[in-house]
Amino acid sequence: MRAAIIIALKDLSQRLRDKSAILMGIVAPLGLAFIFAAIIPDATASSFDIHVGVVDSDGGEISASFINDVLPSVEAQGLLTVTKYDDVDQALTDVENGDEDAVYIFPAGYSASVQSGAGGTVRMVRNVDSTIGGQIAKAVLDGYLSEVEAVTVSVGTAMVDGARDAPAVRALAMETPAAVVLADTEASNRTLDSTTFFAAGMAVFFLFFTVQFGVSSLLEERLNGTLPRLLGAPINRWSIIGGKAITSFVLGLVSMVVLAVGTTLLIGANWGNPVAVAILMVAGVLAALGIMAMVAVVAKTPEQAANWQSIIAVVLGLLGGTFFPLSQGPRLLAALSKLTPHAWFMQGLGDISSGAGLSAVITPTLAMLAFFVVTLGLAIWFGRERVLAL
Amino acid sequence: MKALAITAVNVKRMLREPSTIFFVFVFPMLLILVIGASFGGSFRPKVGLVNAGDGQYAAAFADRITSDADFNTISYDDSDRLLTDVERGVVNLGVVVPADYDQQLGSGAVAKVQFLGRADQSVVEYRATIEAIAASESAVFRAARVVSGEGLAGFDDAVATARIVAAGAGGLDVATESSGESLFGEGLGQFDLGAPSNLILFVFLTSLAGSAALINTRRLGVSRRMVSTPTSIGQILLGETGGRFAIAMIQGLFIMIGAAVAFNVHWGNLLAAGVLLVLIALVGAGGGMLMGSVFDNDQQAGSVGVFAGLGLAALGGCMVPLEIFPDTMVKIAHLTPHAWALDGFTELIRQGGNLGSIVPQIGALIAFAAVLLALGTWRLRAKLTH
Repeated sequence: MRAAIIIALKDLSQRLRDKSAILMGIVAPLGLAFIFAAIIPDATASSFDIHVGVVDSDGGEISASFINDVLPSVEAQGLLTVTKYDDVDQALTDVENGDEDAVYIFPAGYSASVQSGAGGTVRMVRNVDSTIGGQIAKAVLDGYLSEVEAVTVSVGTAMVDGARDAPAVRALAMETPAAVVLADTEASNRTLDSTTFFAAGMAVFFLFFTVQFGVSSLLEERLNGTLPRLLGAPINRWSIIGGKAITSFVLGLVSMVVLAVGTTLLIGANWGNPVAVAILMVAGVLAALGIMAMVAVVAKTPEQAANWQSIIAVVLGLLGGTFFPLSQGPRLLAALSKLTPHAWFMQGLGDISSGAGLSAVITPTLAMLAFFVVTLGLAIWFGRERVLAL
Repeated sequence: MKALAITAVNVKRMLREPSTIFFVFVFPMLLILVIGASFGGSFRPKVGLVNAGDGQYAAAFADRITSDADFNTISYDDSDRLLTDVERGVVNLGVVVPADYDQQLGSGAVAKVQFLGRADQSVVEYRATIEAIAASESAVFRAARVVSGEGLAGFDDAVATARIVAAGAGGLDVATESSGESLFGEGLGQFDLGAPSNLILFVFLTSLAGSAALINTRRLGVSRRMVSTPTSIGQILLGETGGRFAIAMIQGLFIMIGAAVAFNVHWGNLLAAGVLLVLIALVGAGGGMLMGSVFDNDQQAGSVGVFAGLGLAALGGCMVPLEIFPDTMVKIAHLTPHAWALDGFTELIRQGGNLGSIVPQIGALIAFAAVLLALGTWRLRAKLTH
């Protein structure tokens, strides 16, 4: 154990001197997290403001009720900002320019037509880029029209089934309460805000580059001829491997901790409960270490190892959703994502950021530890002759 | 002529490296595929649906959600699973039709459909649409209750009649149309947004990270030996610059043609797109030359190159679209060649522009190329002649 620690200390001081570990482990991820925090507008700051216009060419009861009762109440909830137009052309110009997200146009004679049972069509024009605004505007109108429809359909159905007194049916229908309502189950938000997402994403993405410095140095020692000297020393061979593993582990963990603290203090990232984050970090570092060790053991030269490690790190990082969340993508990609430690790390972090307890990290931690155990096992299996029996 | 030989050696050295092949050719295409698959095309929010009821009314409600063109529906068996996925953002919202839905409706009670939304804006965004569907279903059952309450028909028969009436002439419709000029352009292919960003990102990234090759040439003494031969320093500088430029052009052409063939990306006016690519490759070559002459350690240059390549790409709008940048950041973005090149491709691809409409972008890229190439050759000349 003592020998392992001495080897690790030597490696660590070497890494600090050539600065590449600091660049990969801290400068690059921190720099990118800063850039992402700067270029992505704060979603919570930008108010959710949908502008709708309404033109009442009808002037009847149904349009009036929508404009005077429904729209003000929706406006009071802060969902819409409503502008009344007298002129259809002006309203159309404003929606075309994007000043309005959508405009409702009630045609002349609308109320009369609906009340006579002949139905009617409201025209709605939305701005081409206001997908969500247009959808909400339509939903508000649809909801109201369904209320109206409940009455007209009642009357229509009653007439079909032989009723004679339409006004009586109308009155009865208006008194009949809703038959289907929505009941809200409020889900907590387990997705990370964009600043934290990119801080964590960059940290775990570059982690795989940082840990490779330790495990790959065994190949360098062999190339430089210092490995036979180490093997000639009166120390256990596992101490040499252990020393390299400790180097990787320390480099990885230090970079993660520095990044978490740095992004929290400097750009307001919210990593969540420190104990839970620490558990995820240790598991993440171990998973990265196992995977990188496995690649290093299979490679023949340090260059080859570095090349393969970069490819693996980049592909896993992409699939693991460290640059953009893949969970919202196609299901195949979302499923593939689970084959990376990155995805588990990000999922665990998302869960604890929502205030879930320590138990939320159990599954992600076990998943990452499984990567560690399997890849380390493979590394030892492949490497038992190649690396140790020199 | 000797310059060409030096250029050719540079290209050969790159093509021999398997990992370079991956990062230069395979990975960019992979990224275009993944980004296109995840974000391309029209965005439809995903609704997770649990239908716990087994009756016809529950099925009708579920069908209304499934057939709604605004949503992409994913079925769940278990509402706990659904809640977790809503919380994690796997689906944008959830709807649970309860087991007693038909029973409640038949007995005259209120049927409660569960709406699962995250405690953020998405609740507001999607709730209104689901509520409108519930109100529309509710209208049918209200009518049926009125009719069956009057003793005119049985409840189930009245529901069937009410559906026919609601769908018929007495129904109320909304005719929706859209107007205005789209920010991202209409009729844009699924991969048209991601392809130019990735082209720019990777050509610059490869150029900057490729500066390590130039450092290796110097460190191994190849440059000094070249200088000692009867080859003018101008030829050597031209050859090294040509090498960086040729690699950038090969990668750029591969991505352009590959994206056009594999993903049907339309690059717009080909002459103008070609001019942009040549300028991007020149700027990249200049950047690579500068880095390759300023740094003396190839590993450091490689790492700094990767970081600078990714950082400038993010800042220049190649990772997050410039359209959503805050105003100040848009100005800062235009300190990078990436943003200018991206503006150029945007004009060609989305607005159908030609060479004439991208003059400012061409001017800016020429300026970047001139400054970087001048600095790069000046520094390299100094390093080689000392």
